[in-house]
Formats: sequence, C-alpha cells, structure tokens
Amino acid sequence: MHLIDRRIGFIFAVFLALLAIGATRAAWLGVVRADDLERAAAVQQEDDITIPAQRGSIKDANGIDLGVSEPAMDIAATPRLVNDATKVAAELAPIIDRDETKILSSLARRDTQFVYLGRGIPATRAERARKLGIPGLEFIPRYRREYPRDWMASQLLGYVGTDGNGLRGLEYTFDKQLAGTDGERRMVKDAMGEPLEIRDTKPVEPGKDVTLTLEADLQDQAEEVLAEVGEKWKPKGATAIVMDPHSGAILALANWPRVNANEPDKAPEEVNVNRAVGTNYEPGSTFKAFTVAAALEEGKVTPDTSFPIGSVLMYADRELRDSEDHGMGSMTVSEIVKYSSNIGAVKIARALGGAKPFDRWIHRFGFGKRTGVDLPGEERGQVLALEDYSGATMGNLPIGQGINVTPMQMMAAYAAIANGGILRAPHIVDKVGTTPTKKPAGKRILRESTAASVRKMLEGVTGEGGTASGAHIEGYTTAGKTGTAEKAINGKYSEEFYVASFVGFAPANNPKLLAAVIVDEPEGDIYGGQVAAPAWKQIVNFALGYKKIRPE
Amino acid sequence: MSAPIQPASDPPPSLGPREWRLRLDPLLLLATLGLVACSLIAIRGATADDWDGDPLYYVKRQAVYIGVGFVLMYGLSRLDYSRLRELRYPIYGLLIFGNLFVLAIAPETRGTRAWLELPGFNLQYSEIGKMLLAVALAGFLVERMREMGRQTTARVMLLGLLPTMIVLAQSDLGSATVYVVGTLAILFVAGAPWRHFAGLAALFAVAVAFVLVAAPRLGVEVLKPYQVERLTSFMHPSENANDAGYQQEQARIAIGSGEKTGRGVDGATQTKLDFLPEHHTDFIYAVIGETYGFAGCALVLSLYALLIWRALHILTIAKNLFGALIAGCIAMMLLYQLFVNIGMNVGIMPITGVTAPLLSFGGSSMLSTFLALGLLHSINAQARDTASSKGRTAIFQ
Repeated sequence: MHLIDRRIGFIFAVFLALLAIGATRAAWLGVVRADDLERAAAVQQEDDITIPAQRGSIKDANGIDLGVSEPAMDIAATPRLVNDATKVAAELAPIIDRDETKILSSLARRDTQFVYLGRGIPATRAERARKLGIPGLEFIPRYRREYPRDWMASQLLGYVGTDGNGLRGLEYTFDKQLAGTDGERRMVKDAMGEPLEIRDTKPVEPGKDVTLTLEADLQDQAEEVLAEVGEKWKPKGATAIVMDPHSGAILALANWPRVNANEPDKAPEEVNVNRAVGTNYEPGSTFKAFTVAAALEEGKVTPDTSFPIGSVLMYADRELRDSEDHGMGSMTVSEIVKYSSNIGAVKIARALGGAKPFDRWIHRFGFGKRTGVDLPGEERGQVLALEDYSGATMGNLPIGQGINVTPMQMMAAYAAIANGGILRAPHIVDKVGTTPTKKPAGKRILRESTAASVRKMLEGVTGEGGTASGAHIEGYTTAGKTGTAEKAINGKYSEEFYVASFVGFAPANNPKLLAAVIVDEPEGDIYGGQVAAPAWKQIVNFALGYKKIRPE
Repeated sequence: MSAPIQPASDPPPSLGPREWRLRLDPLLLLATLGLVACSLIAIRGATADDWDGDPLYYVKRQAVYIGVGFVLMYGLSRLDYSRLRELRYPIYGLLIFGNLFVLAIAPETRGTRAWLELPGFNLQYSEIGKMLLAVALAGFLVERMREMGRQTTARVMLLGLLPTMIVLAQSDLGSATVYVVGTLAILFVAGAPWRHFAGLAALFAVAVAFVLVAAPRLGVEVLKPYQVERLTSFMHPSENANDAGYQQEQARIAIGSGEKTGRGVDGATQTKLDFLPEHHTDFIYAVIGETYGFAGCALVLSLYALLIWRALHILTIAKNLFGALIAGCIAMMLLYQLFVNIGMNVGIMPITGVTAPLLSFGGSSMLSTFLALGLLHSINAQARDTASSKGRTAIFQ
C-alpha cells in the first residue's frame, strides 16, 4: 500500500473521529443538558418582579386615617459594585437618615451581593438618593406604614414589620384584608438588560381599608385623661375603654403608658401590650354588681332585702371587714351596693345558694373565656374551678377577689346590665373595605327587669354618699361601681399594691355610653372612687357631649 | 490499491467543453446546495430584527455572495487546475503582497486590520489567501517530492509560516491557524515523515509557551490580551460568564434550549434577544441548534460529513500529485474550520473567529470556500477525463 493511501486513510479516520466528537457534543447539549440550559436561558431573559400592593388604611368611624401606607423605597446595594464606599455613605447618610458608619460597614461586606442600606425610605427622599446616580444601588418600590397621629391608639393599631406584615394589634388581626395581594410582572429583557416586553402575570389587588367603630376625638380625650392619671398617680399602667353598651361597639380604647406607633421598638415590650385585652386583674368591688344581679335574677333577694351587717364576718379562717365600718347594723341590697359592703356581698352570695350557683353565674357573665372581641392577644382571665374552691373562696369571689378578669370582659358583662340583659362580644371593626363586618349576636343572661334594678342600685353609687359620688356628671344620671382590689403577690394579698377601677354608664336609666377606667398600682391613693372615678367622669362627660346625648 | 497519480508533466487536456455534461461531482454539489440553503434559512431567522427596515437584508447579501460563488466555482471547475502549477510564484506573490497590502492600508475594525474596504463590500483578503496558499505550496512541493527530507519540510513550513505571520499581524488569528493547518496538511499528504511532525509539534509547544507565558513577562505582546482570553476561556466557560466565556456560555445555552427539535424562529429567544453574539457569523451553528434543535445540528453535520467525504474522495482519484496535494490541503482546511467553528459553538474549542464554511454570513469566507470547491470539482473532472481516456475507473468511490 502506498504511503499516500495510508495518509489519506489516516485523514479519513481523523475526519470520522472529529465528526463523532462534534455530533456527540451537540447531542449532549441538545438532549441531555437541554433542561438545564433552557432554564439558564429563561433565568437570564426573564425577570419576575413583585409589584407591591398598597396596604389598606385603618380609619376611625368618621374616616380619619389612623394608619396609612405611603409609597416608599427599599434601598439596597451590591457592595462590590459601589466604587467609593466612603463617599457614598457620606452622601446617603443624611438622605436616608441612617448612621454613616453603619452604611459604610454594610458597603464593606464582601460576603454578599445584596445588602439593604435603608428600608421603607419615603418616596421623596428615596428619589433624591436615586438622583445621586450612584452605581451599584438598587431601588425597590414598596410601601411604608405611617401612623399620622403618632401616639394615638398605638397598642390597639399595632404595627407592621419591615417586610410589610402586620405583627401586632389590628394590623396583625386584619393583616390578610389590609395587605391585599402583590402583583407580579414578568419582564423579558434583551442582552443589554433593556426590557422588551412587560407583562403583568398577576394583577395587583390593593388592600382593603379597615374602618373602626373608634372615634378619634373620643380616643384623644381618653388618652389625655389617662395621661393625667399617669402623671398624678404614677401607676404601672392604666386602661380606659368607652363603648356603646347596646351594640358592643368600642368607641375609645386607651392604654397608658403611650407608645409612638411609628417607633414601637423604642418602647419596652410590656408597654406595647394592649392592656384592655391583654392583662388580667382582680376586679374587686366592681364585681359585686354581678353577685347582686345573680341573686336578683334568681329571686333570692330584692333590692330591699335587708342583711345584718356586723363589723367583722368570720369566713373560714379569715376575718372579713368592710373598708369602713358603716355602723348601720343592717343594710338593704341597695345599700350594700351603694356603700360597697364586702360583708353584705358575701351574704348575698350565700343567699344565692353558695358556690355552685355562684360558679354558674361567673361563667354566665362570660368570665373565664375570651369575649371574642376582634382584637388579638386577648386573655381569658382566670376562674377557679368549682372543685378547687377552698373554705375561704366564697368569702372572696363575691367581692371580686380570687378571680382574674380582663378589662374587656368587665365591659362586656357590664354592658349586659346596661343594655337590659344581653351579653355580646364587643367589637371595634365596623367595615372591611365597604362591607360591614358581621356583628356578634348577643345572648340574654338577665331579664330586663333585673338589669333595670341593678342599674338603679348602681346609680346610688354615684349619688350622694356613694363610693363614687365624684363621678356624678351635672345634667345626667350616672351609674357605676368602684373597685379597689388588692393585688395578689406571690399568692398573698398585698397591703401595698392595688388596682383602682371604676366601671359605669350614663344615662343611668337609658345607658348610651359605658366606660371603664382601670388603674394598675396607683401611688398615693388606692381607692377606685378617688383614682379612677374622676377620670371616668372626665371621659364620659366629654363623650356625652361629643355624641350629642341630651341632658336629662 | 493505488491512487492514479500522474506525473504533472502530462499534456493538459483541452480547456474547451468537449462534450456537454455536468462535470461537477453531484454529491459534493448536493452538500454545497444543502449547506447554503441551511445558511440562508438560519440567517433569515437570526437577522430578521437586525437591520432596520429590511428583515431580509442579510439574506439578500448572502444570496448574492452565494450566486457569485457559484459562478466562480463553476468557472474554476472548467479549468484545468494543473496549469496553475506554473503560476506558483505569482500566486505566492499575490498571497504575500496582497496580505501585506491589506496590513498596510486596512483600517482597524474590531481590533483587526484584515478588512479591505471595497465599494459595497469589505474583503477579508486572508480568506482568499487560503486558496492561494494551497495552490502555491502544492506547486512548490511537487518539485521536491522525490526528496522529502528535513530540508523540504523546513522550507515548505517556512513558506507557510511567512503569510501566517503577516495574517497574524493583521490580528486575524482564525485565518492564521488555517494557514498553518493547510501547510501541515500538504506536508502530510506529500508524505513527510512522522518525526518531522513530532519536531514541529515540539517547536509549536515552545512557541505557545513563548507567546502565552514568556513574551508577556518580557513585555512583548505577540497576542493581544483579548486573543489570549479567547483562546483560554473555553476551558472554564461558566466561571467567567463575561466577554469570551460569556459568548461561549450563551452558545451552549442556545444549543441546549433547542432540545431535540428546536424552538422555531419565534421561540429562539437567545438569538432574538441578542444574547447570542455574532449570531449570523461565528455562532450560526448555535442559532441552528436553538431554532431547529438537535435535528438541525445533525442535518448540518451530515451535510458537512458529505462535503468532507467527497473532498477526500477527490483527493484519492486526483490525476496527479499536484491535484492530490491541493485536494488534501482543501479537505483539511475545511475540516479544521468546521470543527473549530462547531467546536466553539458547542463549547469544546476556543473562540478564534473561524467561520463555518458555507454557513456563516460573509462574502470573503463564502468566496474562498467556493474557490476551494471549484478547485475540487476541477480535480474531479480532470481525473474522470483522464480515467475515461485511459479506460480506467477511479477506485475508492
């Protein structure tokens, strides 16, 4: 065989080998790796961006904005693309209101391609930052939650986290309705990153507004009054609630100390708690109204039934005394309420039939379980199980000791007295979007006549000689009950720490407004009549005028 | 088995058509037609958005190049290539001085000085030079066939390297490598001993080491930095997905996205959205891969296989050594170009700016390839004439 033939054969072999390599490689890419590479193509050609939905506003009953979402930007950086970090930090710091050294340390990171420099920067300021034209920065549109009234109803409204989720309060409970649904937009880009086609793959659904039953002016008044209480009595905390006793609509709900809703993290955790639903306390004498109502409803006593009242009542191993010796020998049920006699209340409970019926009535008034108000973080209170009663229990419960309740439970139960016997869950949200919320149905727990009798007796409390004569409002009839409860500290009742409270309504016979003021650990004075009743009067006096309720 | 190689001094047959029959090799013609059809279809899809106002701009130009190419090819096929042997010196002169001329006056476009601006057409002279080189070197070598000593190898090698250097100076790396391959192919077909190639390989290794490693250290820039990057980036494409590596990655993505049967012209987003660079020239194979899938790739490869096979076949039947050397040189040049081009499309070869013969858009490459095909047809026709006049049939059909 000639040399040239061998050479040609060799070239042919090389040709076949190269052909095989080329074909194999093309097949490998086009068949085996196809899925991978196709994904790679989609990744670089398509960009899915989220169009944030504007969060709905929270409005008061008159449409005043309490919480609103404003256009804003998150400003992020790809650190390695930022050329002069020191200069950039210096330029940005005043605009985005963040410490220069913090920005600089963010920009110095080399372990990440994405770092937030500022979140929720208001749109106007973010625009100024954008105009600086700094390379490596990214501006991500979003919304920023603002509370125009700063301090108002903060614990009630709650707040929204940096990612736009409601974390507390109404923002949390109604997060789903307020949030809306973010839209999605798909951009097809060419190799230069220019968008060629923009398609909204998912439309934006803005969040719905939530309209409350709350009245901003009333809320303001309640908060101001509580602030004065805070100033004067230096308590640990205080709560005031104003409600329409018929519908259960909450008109004001104030907590002290106050929190700036725009800066919730500057307040300690416990201050951010909505005390109206989130604290348990022993109601003390305000609870006597239920003791009396139960005995009346069961026909065991009438308002005029008289009980012998000594100066001391031995109950099991305890001596029970009234806060002051009335020296009257005997008292009618009305007088027991008016003067808040502990001995009398215990005797009325005894007349009711003791532990078993009393326990039933505690539950009937809704204690021991959540009221069902549309607020998050509601406590249940603590009610002793019947089988756990000791010999002393029936010396405590009728006067509101040895039981824990929430302010909201007291409001609901008092509303039943005020509205003629219907227990219903209070509510604060009136409308979501334009749709009215379903209002809770009530349950009758007292006859009309019983409720009327109790109201009459409670009217005496604010009358001449009653424990809360200071709560009387000129031109109106008022009714209510004071409470001065000893706080149990480590299982023992303290002589030092009290909860002073007043729950009442006006006008007494045809109540339009129900309100409670609860002051936790006041200093200087301890009595509900001295600490809470005057505050109650200020709030309700304003509210009567504000709601244009005619003097009688 | 013996290839019918005749002494080159045989009297040339008359140039006139003695009888009217198609003197072209039908299979080679079939492969050519198939490839230019693929080229037009692929360019049409890839460049529809590239020229404002005329979606067929590139297709039309390419069609003109093909038309001119066919005329040239047919004309050349009617000539007896053997006569070119006498013209080897002027041809070599054309190769050298033409390229020098280009180097001297060509403006710098995209980092190279390889393009001669003619009215309405930019000529890449180094492309035409490929055929000049093949003919000239074949002519020189035929003279010295009897003594394939070291001296002959060295001399032919130097004759090949001189134009290579000029073309390299034009920064046309792709053509320079084709020149080297063509030179080696001629030596190989002529029967230079293996040890000569071993020696050349060793020299090459030293040269590469010098160019890529030693020269930059000494501050001498033989290759431009972008050329070095292009040559080395294919080894790690995903790692640096910018510049050279980026192009290669995009080509791989395009071919992979085409899967088995392709995404169609409208769905070929890599091409349409300009992710795939040079989609009508260097990376047209990836366009075909994305648009018509593995099926398209396989068709193109088959056509190329047919083309090369016919070229090698013509090599075996050439009537004289001169023809065999030219055919061998052309076959290897074509094989090299298509392998390097397809290899860089599928990510196994570096990016060198070597176009795909008959497929990539471009007049110079197209004309050069048609010249090569014309020579092949001529060798084929002469062989058949000789065979029939001597009553012998070509073997190795």
